[in-house]
Amino acid sequence: MPFDSKTLDRVFNPKTVVVVGDKKATQYSWLRNMKTVQGRLFSVQVDQNEIPGIEELGVTNYTSLLDVPGPVDYVLVAVPRKVVPIVLSDCVKAKVGGVGIFTSGFAETDDEGKGLQQLIAKMATDAQMPLIGPNCMGLFNPKAGVRHSVDQYHGESGPVAFIGQSGTHTIFFSTTLEAVHGIKLAKSVSFGNAAVMDVSDFIEYFAQDPEVKVIGAYIEGTKNGRRLFETLRKVAARKPVLIWKGGQTDAGARAANSHTGSMASSQAVWDALMRQTGAIRVDSLDEIVDTTAAILKLGELRGPRGALVCMTGGESVVITDTFSKQGLQVPLLSDKSYGELSSFFNVIGGSYKNPLDVSWNFQSTDMANRLLGILDEDANTDFLGLEIFVGSMGRRRERDKDSQGRSFFDAVADFAKGSRKPFFAMVTATSAEKEAVEIRQVLREKGVLAFPSFQRGAIAYRKALDYWTDRPAG
Amino acid sequence: MPFDAIVAVARKEKRLMLTEVEAKQALKEAGIDVVDTRLAKDKAEAQRIAREIGYPVVLKIVSPDIIHKSDIGGVKVGLADEAAVSTAFDEIMAATKKANAKANVHGVAVQAMAKQGTEVILGMSKDPQFGPVLMFGLGGVLVEVLKDVAFRIVPLTPRDAGQMVREIKGYPVLEGYRGQDPADVARLEQAILTLSEFVEGHPEIKELDMNPIFAYKDGIAAVDARIVLEDEAAS
Repeated sequence: MPFDSKTLDRVFNPKTVVVVGDKKATQYSWLRNMKTVQGRLFSVQVDQNEIPGIEELGVTNYTSLLDVPGPVDYVLVAVPRKVVPIVLSDCVKAKVGGVGIFTSGFAETDDEGKGLQQLIAKMATDAQMPLIGPNCMGLFNPKAGVRHSVDQYHGESGPVAFIGQSGTHTIFFSTTLEAVHGIKLAKSVSFGNAAVMDVSDFIEYFAQDPEVKVIGAYIEGTKNGRRLFETLRKVAARKPVLIWKGGQTDAGARAANSHTGSMASSQAVWDALMRQTGAIRVDSLDEIVDTTAAILKLGELRGPRGALVCMTGGESVVITDTFSKQGLQVPLLSDKSYGELSSFFNVIGGSYKNPLDVSWNFQSTDMANRLLGILDEDANTDFLGLEIFVGSMGRRRERDKDSQGRSFFDAVADFAKGSRKPFFAMVTATSAEKEAVEIRQVLREKGVLAFPSFQRGAIAYRKALDYWTDRPAG
Repeated sequence: MPFDAIVAVARKEKRLMLTEVEAKQALKEAGIDVVDTRLAKDKAEAQRIAREIGYPVVLKIVSPDIIHKSDIGGVKVGLADEAAVSTAFDEIMAATKKANAKANVHGVAVQAMAKQGTEVILGMSKDPQFGPVLMFGLGGVLVEVLKDVAFRIVPLTPRDAGQMVREIKGYPVLEGYRGQDPADVARLEQAILTLSEFVEGHPEIKELDMNPIFAYKDGIAAVDARIVLEDEAAS
């Protein structure tokens, strides 16, 4: 059922949070997740054996939700399934802002669970109380300090929202996007069985949230496909919506059914949904974090023609295949570019056709600057991708300062800031995984978008380009 | 007869499957080009209709109790004159009686022999979550073996119809392959949009197929059509 945005603002930005039913057997994980809450955090637990452990954490415990000094904005419920309706009835009485139900064993499990799910859905709907789950990890709002997991950050927020039918993917999306591309989330929600609030409710809410620039979603199924279709038709043309659909194969759909009780529609219909609405199809965690980053960091993309720079001949063949397979082009550069390149480029052991196999021509940072400058001005290409080597070539480059005293990475970062074309780097690890991670971190901190492989760069650029150039009019 | 009246007749006869003549009539009234197909209740009417639409013609049994018309000998093609229609009519009636003596027979469908065109299929089925979905593909082996079809959720926009036709791998066939005439893609797109509007306005339709549609250089024609209704309780 749709809730108005004011109702959802209260639960999504909670000032008072209550965890019901946390226990020692799970190391009080929910209270630990919520220790970062900026407002007030309370516990409700009736088991006398559990209470000392809760108080040791510095959290005040009550034996009834009705005793908690209100108003309560968000309640995370982690009690056994039979107790959930009792807790929910207290939530209604206390007029709490909204509820997330971690407890599982509902429609995804058996007939008794199906009955319980129907009961709690009716209770929440009758009371007009937003209910998230059951079988979910609830809300994440780093600014409010509300988290799904202790692995997540808190405090600073970012321009992305995520809607996940899996708690794992929801947590990993936030942590991976931050680790790989340095982008934080504004909010996320793990919504599990969608007994009351379904994916369309969250898309609508994030669509009107000015803090959110990109919406990502992991979906296994929806109770109301028509509404999702109509919601995406309204939203996806105006704000990027990335959809990662779980259960694409028959076996995967069976797994989705036992995970969240989701009914399967054929993948062909989901593909149609995305084509028709302009939602972007992504097929993995890597694709969704990379495409989110490409949309946010590259700005508006205009075309499929890339100028690509590689360190060696073999790489220049493979990068061309990789980008071509995504329907991107690697055309010849303009005569003007070739005129400038031919004045200094040593073609022995290299080539400047496109891709540029730069070989020894990239040994000095000054030469790298010059090359990138020419490619940025080239009239035949729309974007610029640069391979950065790890290993001895990478280290040598780091030592070489250019005429302005900048290291290679500083020069690349300055170039990225001022470049006319969308620009990104690709750092393939080969044998030096740790070093590659460090180089990508250096680039990230300097504001350069960097992908861990050619393929990830090509896919992210392709999908971001589709968003900018191939979506229905909004 | 408007679609509501066709449905009313079927409901009265407790049928969920419309006859070919009914289905084509419904689609024609919706604005989709179908091969001229009319119901003849007796032999004389069959001969009169054949004269009107022009020889050669096709005769097909029209009976809600006969699903696989060709298998029982209920279809006769290439009938060149009045005598041929007469013989074919008798043979079809005899074959039908032999297949099912109790079959409720509406008569025969008299249909113009359609000139062969590029075969395509267009249909609608209902997805449990997304409702009516259209399917488009090349006809014959390509749809059956290669499953080279495209889907779109109803209602479709012109952008959707254009992309749907171009999405199938066999699209170059429609563009004119090895000197063959190209297919009238604009009319196919129009038929897709018309069908989208038709099924959106008629939730009582459960399934619909036009298989095949012949696509020509100028124009298209649905050669066979099938419409299944929802159970009355469900619609």
